[in-house]
Amino acid sequence: MADWHRVAAEAELKPETPLGIRIGDVQVAVVRLADGIFAINDVCTHEFALLSEGFCEDGKLECPLHQACFDIRTGRALSEPAEVDVATYPTKVENGAVFVQV
Amino acid sequence: MRTVIIGAGQAGRRCAEALRELDAAAGILLLGEEAHPPYDRPPLSKAVLLGTDPGNGLFVRAAEFYAERRIDLRLGTRVAAIHPAARAVETAAGERIGWDHLVLATGARARRLRIPGAEDPRVLTLRTLEDAEGLKARLAARPRLAVVGGGLIGLEVAASARQLGCAVSVLEAADRLMARCVPPAIGARYAALHRGHGVDLHLSCALRAIEPTPDGGLLLIGDGARIAADLVVAGIGGVPETALAEAAGIAVQDGILTDAQGRTSIPGIFAAGEVARFPHPFWGGRAMRLEAWQVAQTQPAAVARAILGMDAPPDEVPWHWTDQFGWNLQVLGDPDPSLTLVQRAEGEHRLTAIALDAAGRARGAVLINNGRDATPCRRLIAGGKVLDAAALADAGTPLRSFL
Ligand SMILES: Cc1cc2nc3c(=O)[nH]c(=O)nc-3n(C[C@H](O)[C@H](O)[C@H](O)COP(=O)(O)OP(=O)(O)OC[C@H]3O[C@@H](n4cnc5c(N)ncnc54)[C@H](O)[C@@H]3O)c2cc1C
Repeated sequence: MADWHRVAAEAELKPETPLGIRIGDVQVAVVRLADGIFAINDVCTHEFALLSEGFCEDGKLECPLHQACFDIRTGRALSEPAEVDVATYPTKVENGAVFVQV
Repeated sequence: MRTVIIGAGQAGRRCAEALRELDAAAGILLLGEEAHPPYDRPPLSKAVLLGTDPGNGLFVRAAEFYAERRIDLRLGTRVAAIHPAARAVETAAGERIGWDHLVLATGARARRLRIPGAEDPRVLTLRTLEDAEGLKARLAARPRLAVVGGGLIGLEVAASARQLGCAVSVLEAADRLMARCVPPAIGARYAALHRGHGVDLHLSCALRAIEPTPDGGLLLIGDGARIAADLVVAGIGGVPETALAEAAGIAVQDGILTDAQGRTSIPGIFAAGEVARFPHPFWGGRAMRLEAWQVAQTQPAAVARAILGMDAPPDEVPWHWTDQFGWNLQVLGDPDPSLTLVQRAEGEHRLTAIALDAAGRARGAVLINNGRDATPCRRLIAGGKVLDAAALADAGTPLRSFL
């Protein structure tokens, strides 16, 4: 069952500054972009690393270890060495709080 | 047109992949001596030894990948000779295979110690998956491990073994760790890291001999130190696999000499990956042989383009990394010790250090647990802008603002 989880106050989430959080067993990176707030799985599909610790620019998040790039809106793996996409999760803002559905 | 690639490691795989991507009709034959489909070596000294999940970092491609891309992968096949005039290779089993283009992606083997006692079967090296699995099995008995060489692979093995509960000594002939790739200040941090985890570290300690002891162990005789051990791993660098090339009359000098796109001295024959020594734009065209994942990842694509008559892809800032005791170290460009090192401390165990030349241009960078700065640093190094050292030292100012 996918539940909604409160992850941050909306005001805390700065543009292109990823927030890494853990919801149960799932690591999630939450990122504010110009057109909304997006959430993707935080674990690189190449080797274990948290994408939220990586460089964020132009709607892309780069793995801090081997520089594989992922599209924050779609989860798509955009560059080597990652081949496999990361999961995306729905987000919503309610009463000034950000929620992610996992 | 058929391309035969000798060596099914990372560089051989990357060359085959790039050829297929660029040319749907190319005939591609990938010949590998090892029993495994191509794998990347970085996890061997880390995840494989530790028994943690290497994810897709080891076998990057699924087994079906090669057939799907019509890459004819033949494993357990050693090439014994190249016949340039006949445009053929000969396998150890005696089969002759013709080619239009030939790529040597034979990599390197681990350098072995050449001191008295080094032939003892308890003196190991680490290069292949078998080496890693064999070492892992031996570490399970928690031997006293002595690592010879305080470079990247030696220190990774030391860290992994220590994490597995072994008593670990490291002997390094230089007066600091990782002397070939990081400035002294960074080497000193890593010395403290290893000592903090209980590694018995001996710097300025060249190994002279290894002797068996009456109790069934080994004694390492170094300059100023005698170290008892049950197992020795030598991490003293790699020797490029150039024998085939030499026998075929291809120009070789600690690596197969090539141009920027991997062309050797014989037309139609190319070299890719760690075995190649090629003029590197980052060092003003100086011929370099780089032992790094990045080279095996990207240079083979330039070779594939040369085979198809295409020009070289854009230059890259050199990059490699190492993981020890959970610390990730990345080195970009050339942070030569002669340069001014500007350190941006971003927490106790998080650092970005940028090496500036006399004019204030970034030539290299070292990141400890701070991969998020890799891309800004790469751009600073490639951009060649003159930077203000004092402003750069302020970790409160984001690196992007200097771009
Ligand atoms: C333990 C270890 C850890 C490393 N960690 C890092 C790291 O953290 N970061 C980093 O940047 N770099 C790292 N490296 C370096 C990087 O892995 C190498 O530079 C890279 O593997 C080079 O790839 P290659 O394909 O050129 O050579 P290889 O991977 O050596 O492949 C060459 C292949 O050719 C085959 N071959 C040779 N001769 C023949 C023949 N005659 N016929 C058929 N086949 C043949 C060999 O069996 C081998 O499979 C590490 C290396 C090692 C050994």
